[in-house]
Amino acid sequence: MIDLTVNFAGLKLKNPVFTASGTCGYADELADFMDVNQLGAFITKSITLHKRDGNSVPRVVETDSGMLNAIGLANIGVDKFIAEKIPLIRQYNTPFFVNIAGQTIEEYVAVAQKLANCEEIAGLELNISCPNVKKGGITFGTDPKLVSEITSAIKKNAGKKILMVKLTPSVTDISTIASAAIEAGANALSMINTFTAMVIDIETRQAVLANRTGGLSGPAIKPIAVYLTNKVYNEVAKPANIPILAGGGIKNASDAIEFIIAGATAVSIGTASFIYPDSAIKIIDGLKKYCQRHKIAKISELTGSLK
Amino acid sequence: MAETQFQKAIFTASVSYNKAIGKHFFNLRLELNGSAAEIFRKALPGQFTELDLSRLALPAEEQIPDELSECSQRQILLRRPFSFTNIEYSGSKVILEILYCVLGPATLRMKTLKPSDKINLIGPLGNGFKISSDKKLAILVAGGMGAPPLQHLAKELKDKCPGTETIVFAGAKNISQLPYYDIKLEKISQEPAFVLDEFAKHNVKALISTDDGSAGFKGFVTEMLKNWLKSKKPDSGKTIIYACGPEAMMSSAAAISSEFNIPCQVSLERLMACGTGLCQGCAVRYINKQTKETGYKLCCKDGPVFWADEVVW
Repeated sequence: MIDLTVNFAGLKLKNPVFTASGTCGYADELADFMDVNQLGAFITKSITLHKRDGNSVPRVVETDSGMLNAIGLANIGVDKFIAEKIPLIRQYNTPFFVNIAGQTIEEYVAVAQKLANCEEIAGLELNISCPNVKKGGITFGTDPKLVSEITSAIKKNAGKKILMVKLTPSVTDISTIASAAIEAGANALSMINTFTAMVIDIETRQAVLANRTGGLSGPAIKPIAVYLTNKVYNEVAKPANIPILAGGGIKNASDAIEFIIAGATAVSIGTASFIYPDSAIKIIDGLKKYCQRHKIAKISELTGSLK
Repeated sequence: MAETQFQKAIFTASVSYNKAIGKHFFNLRLELNGSAAEIFRKALPGQFTELDLSRLALPAEEQIPDELSECSQRQILLRRPFSFTNIEYSGSKVILEILYCVLGPATLRMKTLKPSDKINLIGPLGNGFKISSDKKLAILVAGGMGAPPLQHLAKELKDKCPGTETIVFAGAKNISQLPYYDIKLEKISQEPAFVLDEFAKHNVKALISTDDGSAGFKGFVTEMLKNWLKSKKPDSGKTIIYACGPEAMMSSAAAISSEFNIPCQVSLERLMACGTGLCQGCAVRYINKQTKETGYKLCCKDGPVFWADEVVW
């Protein structure tokens, strides 16, 4: 009997597989294709204080072994989310995190305060890859001072919720940012968000995406994501005893295991769900088989086992 | 449009036929059995499927046209959406018919499919055209590769609305871009005629247009539609327009439908990553006619068929 359970910042999960924010809606679309209760956990798409329509189209474009997206945080707003979506999500016995986003620290805090009272929510995932409109549009997640400020502000307002900070890879030294988040009270790290990227139509000399730039995801980013996971694990997470939820281009169980060996306590499945909406379930099964083959009794023994 | 009508799932289909129609187009037939057949036999015209073409091999190098040589080197990742020209069922099996043209690295791979090859698909996805038997006239407006779901719709109208007369306005840039197997050029006139076999077999007459005048009316299919409506003045309350084609053509069909006060449904196309509502990429700007509120809907999940007057063009 393989033990796939993991302890994720005090939360016991039946397995280490999450579906990533922005790739599993509010779990309703996924439920058409699989039993959501089999997931370790899932993370809702980003929720903001007010409703957001999102960007103009094209919002997505395929690249070599990857894709760019610039959805623009389209969501129904936190109040409607609490009133309409939480009652639907409540039917699942899988823990879920709510990804929160905003344009100012005040906005993030307001969202966190509202969600802190919803007992169904296991934790918050802080999307810090948004531009801060009050600081000239600089991305929160690229400045350690801002990361520290926003993390501690939310920590104070998030009640007992697990606070997970989602790191952007578009920085010089990701470990500095990870340290800032942990010192400010983050209970877990989530990595990595997409890479800022661009595709140009050479016939029209225009950017393909209406937003010009978008976030690169998919297998194309996997080796970089594995490297960054291992770096953050060794330099920050392991010494601080903080779990990492890692992903970036995971398509199958072998990909997921690479991340776990690199230092992840849990893995997140994103773009793969677009192609095979039941990817996460197959990956859970594949993790079990790998453990059997390698005589690993507990999957948690694999975390950070890179030789 | 209505809520998603039927259950959808991930299935494996078996190729039963994959052959060229003319220079640019291919007809692919996929066979489904068991629960897949049960689900797909209820699929409506306008619904679609997402095919995983990423695992297919490329054709031999000498069979790759020069203009696709560079893009063929790209490793594809995402599925590709296709609507159906027809869904046939006999006994426990269902045949899905797909019309496609080779435009990039995915359809180049699709061309290599041969009978008994297996292919993974998701569907049926989205919402189809809404039909009602109180209409006397259904006008199908097909621009280029927008024809497939309208062929399927012609069959559905014949089966479900025997009291409705259906005619098709079929246009393309030029004669070779008309995606039909057999065009009876000698029968083309200014009156609808049995010109296209694909529609004639459903008792649907056609009017043809090409931008360059190489077949039928010279000009846009929507110009031909407008002229026809002006001269024939069909009873707007008993008429409905169904359009599928390039965005500009559908926008023009929407404007004409509003000018003649004829209800119109359009089947839209967007770049999609998933087709299942997960990625939120395929946004359609939408206006609620009652509240005048605007926002985005998803082409894959809320559409691809929309009422033309609910789309912000």
